[in-house]
Amino acid sequence: MDFANLSAQLNAGAILPEGIVIITLLVTLVWDLIVGRSSTKVTPYVAIVGLLIATGTLFLQWDTTEPISFLGSFNGDAISLIFRGIIAISAAVTIPISIRYVEQSGTSLAEFITILLTATVGGMFLSGADELVMIFVSLETLSISSYLLTGYMKRDPRSNEAALKYLLIGAASSAIFLYGISLLYGLSGGETRLSAITASIISNGLDESLGLVIALVFVIAGIAFKIAAVPFHQWTPDVYEGSPTPVVAFLSVGSKAAGFALAVRLLVSAFPLVSDQWRFVLTALAILSMVLGNVVALAQTSMKRLLAYSSIAQAGFLMIGLIVGTDAGYSSMVFYLMIYLFMNLGGFACVILFTLRTGTDEINEYSGLYQKDPLLTLALSICLLSLGGIPPLAGFFGKIYLFWAGWQAGAYGLVLIGLITSVISIYYYIRVVKTMVVKEPQEMSEAVANYPEIQWNLTGMRPLQVSIVVALVFTSLAGVLANPLFNLATGSVSKTPMLQATEPMTPVVSQAPEQLPMPTVESVDL
Amino acid sequence: MNLAEGVQIVSLGVLAFLMLATSLGVVLLDNIVYSAFLLGGVFISISGLYILLNAGFVAAAQILIYVGAVNVLILFGIMLVNKRQDFTPVRNAWLGKAATAIVCFGLFALLSTMVLATAWPISSGPIAGDAALVEIGKHFFSDYLLPFELASVLLLMALIGAIVLARREFLPEEMVDSTDEVLTLPERRRELTSTPRQ
Repeated sequence: MDFANLSAQLNAGAILPEGIVIITLLVTLVWDLIVGRSSTKVTPYVAIVGLLIATGTLFLQWDTTEPISFLGSFNGDAISLIFRGIIAISAAVTIPISIRYVEQSGTSLAEFITILLTATVGGMFLSGADELVMIFVSLETLSISSYLLTGYMKRDPRSNEAALKYLLIGAASSAIFLYGISLLYGLSGGETRLSAITASIISNGLDESLGLVIALVFVIAGIAFKIAAVPFHQWTPDVYEGSPTPVVAFLSVGSKAAGFALAVRLLVSAFPLVSDQWRFVLTALAILSMVLGNVVALAQTSMKRLLAYSSIAQAGFLMIGLIVGTDAGYSSMVFYLMIYLFMNLGGFACVILFTLRTGTDEINEYSGLYQKDPLLTLALSICLLSLGGIPPLAGFFGKIYLFWAGWQAGAYGLVLIGLITSVISIYYYIRVVKTMVVKEPQEMSEAVANYPEIQWNLTGMRPLQVSIVVALVFTSLAGVLANPLFNLATGSVSKTPMLQATEPMTPVVSQAPEQLPMPTVESVDL
Repeated sequence: MNLAEGVQIVSLGVLAFLMLATSLGVVLLDNIVYSAFLLGGVFISISGLYILLNAGFVAAAQILIYVGAVNVLILFGIMLVNKRQDFTPVRNAWLGKAATAIVCFGLFALLSTMVLATAWPISSGPIAGDAALVEIGKHFFSDYLLPFELASVLLLMALIGAIVLARREFLPEEMVDSTDEVLTLPERRRELTSTPRQ
């Protein structure tokens, strides 16, 4: 195979967005090396611009006809494009909210951004990886940079503890995942491309074997760790509490989106022979996540732990879309992820701002915040209410679409549990809002009573303000003006051959998104 | 059975025994230094198995990377930490150990049933032998090109992360009352941004 022939076959244009992120990463690193510490004035903005350009090139590839590249290692189909976009945007929103936090903690910003961008590259490659080796290498790129980010504040013992816990549990789950995919390699007689594995297993006559089920269970254990589904969630509260808050924001959105992308691709294209089994296992995980996440969140006193359990519960909701496996199911999952990106990052941005000003993240300390900082109160309230699913906000429409898709596909039990647990979730989200808004002036907490004067002109505060406002606007309006997002989500599913080839459980109901029948509005609207 | 097959079976038995014995030693011995050296033994016996499987390159890589780098690093880590601390015995520790043993045996039984019950498709192609190196190289630059290149990004980030974790940070309060400044390297002070609370 000569070079010209090979380079023509590679179709390297499909990984242009990742290439742009890698170049941004190198520019950040080298610029910091040349300029020194004053580089922090420039590097975050370079990184944000690079990520936005990468997102733009993802849009340009929307109508691509040749998604397969690198001889089958990478598949840049529409569903991977949308997940890569979600990951890139979540990193682009995480960087502005982290500038002030990193500066104030006295650690260096350029290395933080470099590691964050590497995590983004890992997540983006994972969304499109179509071959076992590629999946594992990109998964490790994402995981190892996440461990480093978790332990980045190394003077803080809580950050060290979180990093060590995350590293140990993560390494164990990676090992289990690797064992699972090695079984897949053995069963298919040495095939590593996902699209070829099933055919190869059938031709070897192993489609009923015990090995396939064990491989499935091990692979699901690895994926469930990444998306923090119960019972693989134990790391989540401790890691979320201990690690730097901007990192938590990225882990809860970017890393989780990458986990879902991996789940969709691996389960749909490599395990169609045991699809009933994986749907059953995931149903159990989804029910456990929704119930345990929401119920345990009720008892939390720390805001970061509350958001940790809330993110476990949100993973449960998202899994409904994956389990039903219809077109509407997948697109509702993608749609909810897009909305979840902004409402969750907005919530974390507000928590970061409050922590920077008062140095605490206890829920009690938020009481009476309304009198001192109306913008922060408004933004945090909107984001939390949207996470809970209160009607005019974006989260409500996302949840309704998910539950509607589940109901259409006949997953009545899952949808009912989802409805009941989201009513529970409204209680703990509203409790925070009530603490902030309703309290009388004399009940104001000490932290709020000593609230510093609001200064947006300090280093790194302006980007934080901008991202809070962007998340606020998006969360308020994305539900009402949801049509472009709906079209993106449905388009990404209908344009993906992998998702079209599989048999959906029920006939696909095509319907204009504006006229969604909403049989469940009353029960959510409590 | 000719001589070659006999030698292979005997060496398989010896290697398997060595591997099991050393790995049990890693887990069961109390002294961590012994465990670390026995871990090297595990890696070497695994590379012996690779040689029996005609995979000479993988065996060499196993010894170079695992014994030469990973295991030596573990030993360095143990020696640098140099902390002798006796564990206080936990009450009813046998309960946890018994539960672990049951789970491990259950998993072992499940996996060995699976391994024995599956009719593994075994490649009928010719054994590459010493030409394996060429084959691996071809794969690296054709169908495994992308993971190979991504690994370089991973290594770059691991390098940066290791430096971030290992470098000394300036600690203002320690600097004030530290008396032995002879042995410390001069470091530039990181300018902290003024916090609004001050």
